Order: sequence, then C-alpha cells, then structure tokens
Amino acid sequence: MSVPIRTENLTKNFNGFRAVDSLNIEVNKGSFMGFLGPNGAGKTTTIKILTGLLSPSSGSAYINGIDVTEEPKVALTNLGTIVETPEFYPYLTPNETLAYMGELHGMTGEDLKRRTKEVLDLVKMSEWADKRIGKFSKGMKQRVAVAQAILHEPSVVVLDEPTSGLDPRGIFEVREVLSGLKNEGYTILMSSHMLNEVQEVCDEVALINRGQLLKRGTVDELIHSANARRLEVRTFKETTEVQLMRVSQLNAVTDFESFGPRDFALSLVGGDEAQANLLEELQNIGLKVVTFKDSGISLESMYMSLIKDSR
Amino acid sequence: MIHISENVSPTMKKSVYVAPSDLSQIGIVVKYDFLKYLRSARLVGMLAIVTLVLLLLTALPPLLGNSYADDANKFINTYASFASILIIIGATLFAGDAIVSEFQNHTGYLLFPKPVKKWVLLAGKFLASMGAMFLVLLFYYGVALLLGLVITGSFSVLGVESLLLAMLYAVAALSVGFLISSIMKGITGAQILTFALFLFIFTIVTGVFTLGGVEPWFVVTYSSGTIGYITQNPYPTGGSDTGVGPGSLAPGGVATSSYIPDIGVAIAVMAAYTLVSLVLAYYFFSRREMSA
Repeated sequence: MSVPIRTENLTKNFNGFRAVDSLNIEVNKGSFMGFLGPNGAGKTTTIKILTGLLSPSSGSAYINGIDVTEEPKVALTNLGTIVETPEFYPYLTPNETLAYMGELHGMTGEDLKRRTKEVLDLVKMSEWADKRIGKFSKGMKQRVAVAQAILHEPSVVVLDEPTSGLDPRGIFEVREVLSGLKNEGYTILMSSHMLNEVQEVCDEVALINRGQLLKRGTVDELIHSANARRLEVRTFKETTEVQLMRVSQLNAVTDFESFGPRDFALSLVGGDEAQANLLEELQNIGLKVVTFKDSGISLESMYMSLIKDSR
Repeated sequence: MIHISENVSPTMKKSVYVAPSDLSQIGIVVKYDFLKYLRSARLVGMLAIVTLVLLLLTALPPLLGNSYADDANKFINTYASFASILIIIGATLFAGDAIVSEFQNHTGYLLFPKPVKKWVLLAGKFLASMGAMFLVLLFYYGVALLLGLVITGSFSVLGVESLLLAMLYAVAALSVGFLISSIMKGITGAQILTFALFLFIFTIVTGVFTLGGVEPWFVVTYSSGTIGYITQNPYPTGGSDTGVGPGSLAPGGVATSSYIPDIGVAIAVMAAYTLVSLVLAYYFFSRREMSA
C-alpha cells in the first residue's frame, strides 16, 4: 500500500536560496496532518511541489505512490487542493467553475450536478451557485475553493492556509468543514499559521523550519515531548509595566500574555528546574506571587520552543 | 452548523473518477475559455469595432460623392485591406493575456493542480482564442461579401480566398501573442508588446529591409499583404524601382523597391510563425512555475 503523501529528500532552490532542504515527510492514510512552520519555513513551497505547481531541484514528491513530477496527470487525479488564495474566473459562476474543474477530473452529467450541489451545500454557497464569482468576497471565494478541492472526492487533500483572510465566522465555518472531512476519511495535509486551528482539527503535526523537518508526531506526542510548559501567574499587588516587560524578557520565557492588572501567563522552555528558577526571578523582579500554576502545554508553546531550539 | 452528509462511508476515500483523455480535456478547456470571450467585454468590443469599420467603409464613399466599385473583387478589396489591423487588435485581445493571466491573476492555483497537461491547456486556450478570432473575421467578411453581392450583383470568390488568408494570418498572430503571453510577467505588458510588435516593430523592419533593397519575405506582417492583394485580378507583381523625394531618382531622392509578397511564400511564412511560436510558447509555459 502506498503512503498517500510522501516526500523523499525534497529540495528546492530559488536563485541560491534553499527553500526546502532534503525534506522527508509522510502522511498516513486517513490522517489529518498539520504542517507548521514560521514564514519562509518552506511550507508553501513543499505544498506547491506536491500539487505540481513547482518542480523540485532534487528529490521527489509522491501522491499515492505516484511521482508528481514524473506523472503529474496520474498523480493529481486523486488530489484536491487549495494553494495560497486561489482566484477564480470572474465570468464563471460557482456551478460553472465546479463543472469546469469536475469535467477535467472526469465527472459528467447527473453525477457532476449531484456532487456540485452537495459540496456547495456543504460550504453554504448554494444561494450563490448561479452568481458570477467576480464580485464575491474573499471568504466566499475561499468556500468555493474548499468546494472544488473535494468535488471529485479525492483520497488526498492538500490545503495551504485554507482559513487565511477569512473573518472569524468564516474561519469557524471552514474549520467545521475541515473537521467534517477528517470524519469522512480524507487524507489531509494542511499548512497553517493558526496553531489553535491545527490543534483543533489535526491529529498529526509536522513542524518545519528553514526547509527542514524539525519534529513530527501526533499532537499529543509532540506536546508531551516538548521541553516547554505554560504557566499562569497571579500576583498579590498590581504589576507595573516595567515588571511585566522584565518578565517577558526573561531568557526561558517564549511567550507572554497579560490578562489583567494581577494576572499573566507565559510559556517557559525547560523542566522543573527552569520553573523553580522562574519563581525566583519573579520574586527578584519584585512580584509577590499568589498563585503559580502549570496550565499544561499548548501546541503554541511547543511550536515556539522547537523553533527557538532550532535557531 | 455545517453537517457532513451522513451517507458517506467513514472508510478511506478513493475517487472513482478518472481524468478524461487529453483530447477530451482540450475540448473542455476550449468550452470554458470560449465562454470567457463570450461573456467578457472584449468579444463584444471587437465586434463593435468591426461593425464600426464596416459602417465607415460602406457609408463614407457615397457621403463623399464617390460611387462603389462595380466589380465584386474591387469592392471587397477595400474591406480586405483593413482585415490585418483587425487581426492585430484581435490577437492583442484574445492572445495577449491568455497564459500570463493565469499567473498574474492567480487562477493558475486553481487550474494547474488539476490532472491536465500543460500542452492540453495551451491547445485548449489557443483553440478558444482562434474560435473568437474566426468569429470576428467571419462576421466581418460575411457582411462585406454580402454587401458586395447586394451592391455589385456578383459574389467575390477572391474575397473568400482573402478570408482564408486572413484566417491563416490570424492564427500566426495569435501564436505570436501566445508566445509573448507565456514569457511576459504582466498582462498589460504582454498586450502592449503584442500590439506594438505587429503594428510598429514588424512594420519598421519591413520598411528598413525594403529601403535596403531586400524583400522582407520573412516578416509575417509583410506576408499579410496577400490578404488585400489577392482580391486584385490579376495578382500584382512588384520589384519596380520608384523614387521618393524631390524628383524620381533625382539627386537627393531615395531609390526604393516595392515588393509584393508571393502567396506561396506568404502561406509558408505564416505557417512557420505559427509552428515556431507555439512550440516556443509551450516550451516557456511548461517551464514556468507558480512561484510568486
């Protein structure tokens, strides 16, 4: 059985800049993998190679065991994609756009109509099915993009920041669609900057930086393996801005957030010793700590910790 | 709340659809690309320009006190002489942005990850633009031939031959337009270059070679001269020296040669431009990446 998505020593250079560096990733059947990394990490480049939009400088990318560069037509048949923010032909309606894309995939007649209606219902765009896309908002276009990605019921879906540019309601709705896809058995690779989104919908995470894989595993595995924790602190007296700034600049602190005059939370790299040292540091800064509790580790903390380690 | 359909099996997905043959996919691309021309202002605009040209060419002679030619071929000659400029405008509108727009407008992110080969996309888009261009030419020549029939009482067979040459020139011009579109980074630049190349650059090259006493048989716009010449019976011959300046071949004057393109050579040149341009267009398009 072929792995649905696989890259093998994938490398891509742009005028001397190495965007992807010998990257090896695999997404198992039925898995929903979040593809994380800071800007310029190589996520979009990897996705573009997987979807046939770019050619690798060396190495290979496979969809269902078929080399995307060698046999693009066969490899892309069973693939649904959203790459960057796709634009649509403004003179076509969603119905016509889906008909165009569906026909290229081999869909015809009643089957195409039925499936078009299904996916437009799914993304709540049925009402605009016969309106030209030219005047649609970015959110509406993104929903049509989701619809075209799953129209032909591909086994593999590759999404590049599918909620990018959407308003909170749009993000919520697309995220629900994505959660639904997971239940339907699609194999999905999704890049995202939104860690909470990845934590919510993905069951696996691959973290890359500078084109290289830093870590890969289930969300739980990564969180447990991370050398980081999130701490919530309440002080006896109100904190001053200077005190907060000094806390946020402490060496082991990767993320800092103030909730009120006496409450803040931070992410800390390190184990028990680092936590004990932090308490001492807080006292040195002049804070009288009332509560100092470990609130677990978020994917965000893990992400920051790993990125920091890789620098 | 969004509900996923209940009847979908929770087991692994497997698409049951198989991408159609390359030939079928060309037909699909043609269908939707031609829809672009039907719905966009450019085909309507092009037809409006053609209508205006037809009106001016038909209405102006009587308004200026001139009578129409009494021979159908002479009548159609006036119209045929304007076909080249219409083709240049058509090539600019229908070919200039055909490829580059997929990159600049980001529609390539939608289309290119589909299981369709680049040459299929190129062929489909080219045939669609050819269809739009032929529609315009058929309308133009159809009306002109009909007017000739009504006004002179006879049908111009040479007019039909002129139409065929115009169609061949249109294919060559579209091919060059596609080549430019596959190289250029912006739509506007591609369209301006297509227009300028045919209207100015090729014309200047033709002029320079003619002044130098070399027949510019290899310039496609020179070959397009056959579109008008073919309606003259007999077909004109060139090569005579004429003087330009204060006096014919007088001191200070410039000796020039007037050349008339040979029909066979012109057809071969237009076919060669088509073939070479399309091969190069495919070469550049297939290597172009959505890296922006």
